Amino acid sequence: MPGSRRTQLRTPSVFLKLRNTQLALGLLSLKLSPGAHEEVTDSRAAPQGPAGGKDDDDINITKRCEIGNYEDNNNTTSYFLHKTNLKQYSAAGTAQALYEDYQNESESPNPNRNGSQFPGLPSPPPHRALESAKLAALHARLNLSERLPLQSLARCLVDSTADESLQFNNTHLAFLGRTIVNYHVSEYLVAKYPRLPMEIVFAAMKGYAGNRALYAIARQWGVEPAAAPGEEVDPGLLQFDVKKTGTELDAAVGYKRKELDKIIKFKFRRGISSRVVFDDEFGDTVSMGEHERILERQALEWRAQQGILSEDEMIQMEDPVPLEIETAEDRKFASYANFSRAVVGAVFLHSGREVAKNFVRSHVLSRRLDLEEMFSFSRPTRELAKLCQREGFERPVARILSETGRLSRTPVFVVGIYSGRDRLSEGWGPSIEHARLTAAMNGLKSWYLYSPGDDVRMPSETYDENAKPWTPLYVDMGEVIV
Amino acid sequence: MPIKAIPKISKGQNGLGAFILQCRKLDFHYCDWAGSSVGMNGFIKSVLPKFAAQSPQVEITVSPRPKRHPHIIGHYVNGKQKAICVKNMEPLEILKKAEILRNASGEKNKRVLKAVTSRNPSVRGIWSPYHGKPLVV
Repeated sequence: MPGSRRTQLRTPSVFLKLRNTQLALGLLSLKLSPGAHEEVTDSRAAPQGPAGGKDDDDINITKRCEIGNYEDNNNTTSYFLHKTNLKQYSAAGTAQALYEDYQNESESPNPNRNGSQFPGLPSPPPHRALESAKLAALHARLNLSERLPLQSLARCLVDSTADESLQFNNTHLAFLGRTIVNYHVSEYLVAKYPRLPMEIVFAAMKGYAGNRALYAIARQWGVEPAAAPGEEVDPGLLQFDVKKTGTELDAAVGYKRKELDKIIKFKFRRGISSRVVFDDEFGDTVSMGEHERILERQALEWRAQQGILSEDEMIQMEDPVPLEIETAEDRKFASYANFSRAVVGAVFLHSGREVAKNFVRSHVLSRRLDLEEMFSFSRPTRELAKLCQREGFERPVARILSETGRLSRTPVFVVGIYSGRDRLSEGWGPSIEHARLTAAMNGLKSWYLYSPGDDVRMPSETYDENAKPWTPLYVDMGEVIV
Repeated sequence: MPIKAIPKISKGQNGLGAFILQCRKLDFHYCDWAGSSVGMNGFIKSVLPKFAAQSPQVEITVSPRPKRHPHIIGHYVNGKQKAICVKNMEPLEILKKAEILRNASGEKNKRVLKAVTSRNPSVRGIWSPYHGKPLVV
C-alpha cells in the first residue's frame, strides 16, 4: 500500500500523546478535587499528622493528606536522585555515598524549604488566593468558569523554580496541559494539512505550542511576574526564579537517546523517522536534566579517584560533554509557557474535556502562523520532478509565459511549470533561472499545503456524545525524498 | 535534506477566538481636602462599586494623593499606561472617562484612514501587466 509510510511515521507521536494524556489523568485525578486546597494547607502547616475524622468525607480528606505528605517529603531533588541512582550506577555503594553527600550538602546551608536565610514559605499560602484582586481580574479576563476556583489559578502561577514542592507548584498541571495542548495542535495540523512534511509539522508545533508561543500567549493575557518568589507576594503574580533550573516532568513524549552525548558533542545527524520515534513533540531531543548530569559527573570523578574507570569513561573524563545549562531567558519563556499549559490543565480538570478543547482552539489555534513562509527548499526543481514521477504525472517542463525588458536593468520573467497540458504552478523573477525556481517552489508549496478545508473532522470530535462513527482521514504518504 | 523549516512563532489576533480586555488595571487617585476632588470622592462612594462589578477583568485600586488633582491611570496588557486628569468633574463625567480608559487598547491614538486593515493577502490579487490579454495599441 503506497500510502502507508506516512501513516506509520505519524501515528506513534499522536498515540503517545493520547497515552500520556490518559496517564497524566490517572496521576492527577486525585490532586485537584474541589476542596483539596484547605487540606493541602493543613498538611503543610502540620506535616506530621493529619487529623482523622469520623465521617466518610473526613476519611477521604485524611487519605488525600497522606498522599500529599508522601509527595511533599519526596520532593523533586530526591526524585531526580532516585531516578539517577536506578539508571546510571551499577555500583550501589557509589550511589549511596553520593546520595548522602548531596543530602548533607543540601540540608546544611538551607534549613528552610525556600532556600533563603529568612524563614517563611516559598510561595503564598493557597487561602490568600481569595484576597488577591489581580488573580480575580485574571480569572475574569480569561473568561474562566466558576468551577475553576481561584486557588487553582493561583497554583498555576507558581513555577517549579519558585516552590519545589509538587503539592504547591504547577508541575503536574503543566504536564497535563502540555499533553492536551500538543494533542489538539498536532491533530489540527495533521488533519488540516495532510501533506505537510514532517519538518514543517515539527516547526509548526513549535510555532503554536512551543515555549516562545505560549510565553507570548501568557503575556497577552496580562500576566505580570513577581520581582522574586516568596510567601508575601501577591498570588496573582507569576512566580519564578531565573537563577534556578526548572524541574518539569520531562519525557512527556519521546525517549532519552543512548547517543545523546554524541549528538550534543559531534552534532550527529538525526533522521526524521528517528525524530518521530525518539524525540519530543517538537522534534527536539529529550535531554538529560541538569541534576542528572551533575550527579553523573560526580560519580565519574569518584570512580576516577578509586581508579576503576573503563576506557569509555576515561575518554569521557578527559573530554566531558558540556552541561546544557538553561539561560535566564529560556527559564523565563519556560515559566510563562508552563503557566499557560497549567491553565489548560486546570480547565481540563475542573470543567472537562470539551471546555479544554475550546480553550485551546480559542487561545492557541486562533493565532496566526503562516505555514507558507516556513518552507526552505534546497533543490526545488529536482524535488518537483521527483514528485511528478511518484504521482505518475508527466515530466514537468518550465516555459516562459511572458517577459519584459530582457535587456534592461529591471527585467521581469514569468515562468510556468507544465506537466503535459496542465499548468502546475507559476512564478516570476528578475532572471529566467530565478523565475523557474520560484515557480517550482510555488508548485511544491501548493502540493504540500493542500487542505481538505476548515470543516475537516478531528479525531477528538469522536469523544462527543452521539458522535458519528469515525471515518478515516486522508493522510498523505509523505514528502518526496530526493 | 530537501526541505528545511524556518522557525516562526504564531502571532496573536485578539478577538478572533478569545477576546482579552486590554486594560488590566485602573488606579483612582483622590484628595480628601481639595475642592477639585469633590466629584471624584462622590464617584468613589457611589459609582465606582457598580463600575467595578461591571468590569471584573480590571483590577481596581483606590489611593489618596493629598494636595494633587484627582487622576485615573489605566495600565494595559502591552505595558503602556494612560492617565486622565479628572479635576472639577462630576461623578458621571468621571464615569465616562473611566470607561474610555477601560475600553482603550493601550496603543497610541492613531488616525485611521482605511476602513479595513488586514494581515491577510488580498483575495482578488494585485493587478499584473503580464497576465490576461495584452493591450493592443
